[in-house]
Amino acid sequence: MSTTTQHPGAHAGAAEATPHGPHLGFGGVIASEWIKFRTVRSTVWTLAITLVVMVGLSLLVAFGITSAMDSSHAHPADTGIPGSEIVTLGYYFAQMTIAVLGVLTITGEYSTGMIRSTLAAVPRRLPALWAKALVLAASTAVVSAVGVGLAYLVTRPMLSSHGMAVDFGDRTTQRVLIGCVLYLVAIALLGFAIGAVLRHSAASIATVLGVTLLLPILVLVIGNWVSWVRDLGPYMPTTAGERIMSTSTAVQAGSSGAGAGSSSGPTPLAPWTGLGLLAGYVVAVLTLAAVMLRRRDA
Amino acid sequence: MIDVHGLTKRYGSKTAVDDVTFTVHPGKVTGFLGPNGAGKSTTMRVIVGLDRPTHGSVTVNGRPYAQHRSPLREVGILLDAKAVHTGRSAYNHLRAMAATHHIRASRVDEVIEMTGLQSVAKKRVGGFSLGMGQRLGIASALLGDPKTLILDEPVNGLDPEGVLWVRNLVRYLASEGRTVFLSSHLMSEMAVTADHLIVVGRGKLIADAPVSQVLAQASGTTVRVRSPQATQLVELLQGPGVTVSSTEPGLMEITGSTAVLIGEAAARAQLVLHELTPVVSSLEDAYMALTKDEVEYHSTTSGIHPDHAGAHAVTPASSEPDGVDR
Repeated sequence: MSTTTQHPGAHAGAAEATPHGPHLGFGGVIASEWIKFRTVRSTVWTLAITLVVMVGLSLLVAFGITSAMDSSHAHPADTGIPGSEIVTLGYYFAQMTIAVLGVLTITGEYSTGMIRSTLAAVPRRLPALWAKALVLAASTAVVSAVGVGLAYLVTRPMLSSHGMAVDFGDRTTQRVLIGCVLYLVAIALLGFAIGAVLRHSAASIATVLGVTLLLPILVLVIGNWVSWVRDLGPYMPTTAGERIMSTSTAVQAGSSGAGAGSSSGPTPLAPWTGLGLLAGYVVAVLTLAAVMLRRRDA
Repeated sequence: MIDVHGLTKRYGSKTAVDDVTFTVHPGKVTGFLGPNGAGKSTTMRVIVGLDRPTHGSVTVNGRPYAQHRSPLREVGILLDAKAVHTGRSAYNHLRAMAATHHIRASRVDEVIEMTGLQSVAKKRVGGFSLGMGQRLGIASALLGDPKTLILDEPVNGLDPEGVLWVRNLVRYLASEGRTVFLSSHLMSEMAVTADHLIVVGRGKLIADAPVSQVLAQASGTTVRVRSPQATQLVELLQGPGVTVSSTEPGLMEITGSTAVLIGEAAARAQLVLHELTPVVSSLEDAYMALTKDEVEYHSTTSGIHPDHAGAHAVTPASSEPDGVDR
């Protein structure tokens, strides 16, 4: 039957399939997802706000701390906050916009019906999911790295004049800077995975913000009365993940004053263990999303 | 070539498609006809793997859709005009779709030109009219220059010029040897576009035959009789296959008989006839007759039967554009 098929005259020559002709391939699916990712406004907006928040917050805190040091003639060590923490602390607000971006990357397709076009073009479905996750993760990594870089640049004059310059040779500093990028990538993928499971923008955004921001606070409050809930604290997704950016060591937990727990609180996880646990949660939800994508009607 | 075999699709307790089997052949336009809710869209979604069949199997060009190396080059799909992200421009949408199959950018420009979208291609789809959305959907379906086209209600929302354009396009594509499968709930549109009809109602297959045959089998002749002695006449005419309905005293619509038989019967019994008119049943009537038991959402406002609703109220002449085929 295919032998009787002729191509319309308008494009007859070109339509003859070239040897490695136009086939569906993972590279093509990634290219497609990249086009989709950058051609909607929500991407541009959320990433722009992420950058503004990361740079702005660092600038504000650096200014506040150095001003305070000027007026009290304090030593850098007295502040208890190293430069690396100042250039990364925008993560706390950036995780909200990044989580929303992760959600919208997938729920935007469900709310508009685009998902049917996507899955018709990639009927095996999973390559589309992985390609989306890849594009999202890479973009988030680049933008958060740029955010940290810009925050470093704008705070550098203030910090170095007060002996708080970021020392890139320091192992802990390296971990905090890289950790900030990895943490935000994990949060983006968490939002994406939750969005893929729930398929609804508002429900997914509420859920991911609840998990990242509300859950640690809830556990803390309830933990005041219920001891086993308090012991769960360190294992909450963001509480665990944030450890990668901590500069106080685990043994000294509670003495830093920056932490929320009382001195009798549970021991925080080691930095990489914490990030690993967050990654584990992300993988678990992503796996659920993949299974459901395969099973459900689009 | 599309092969649907024993397809059943249930959503919860609701059966959308009930054990349907048919084949769509290349080289002609096959119309998929049925009232709203008959299971047309569901069947089409199952064909391209968006919905999973509860029972049965579906193959396109010899294998399940998902198992093709280049699905978009095998099958072009217009499922509904809204399967597009509203925040993206038509051009970027087509480019993203093309990228999955490494379809070159010049082909995107070609389909934009073919569908007449040049002036709006860079605009966001959210602002598109229904007609422009349909054109974008058709552009998307043509992107892979596919052997098989599946178009769900392609003329929905198009202006007359657009309807004509779709009709010519699908006939041209079929003449090239492609398989063209398009759904509609409009019999009149199908009659001038399709070569073959597959009719469904409430998820069940009602007819699968050439257009002319479907029409012949569906259209029983109706005769309008006006007589002051209607009651006696009805008694005379009663027999198997004859149905009489009346909308006002002395006026009857008789099906299952002919004007000749009725006239002769009346003459033998010496009954007075004021009118004896064979009513040429239109395509819409034929379609209504086919699906009247299968319509899911009956309108009950008027209380009259579907086969009395439209064309019978007007003169036979006014339904002539559809009646040409007979």
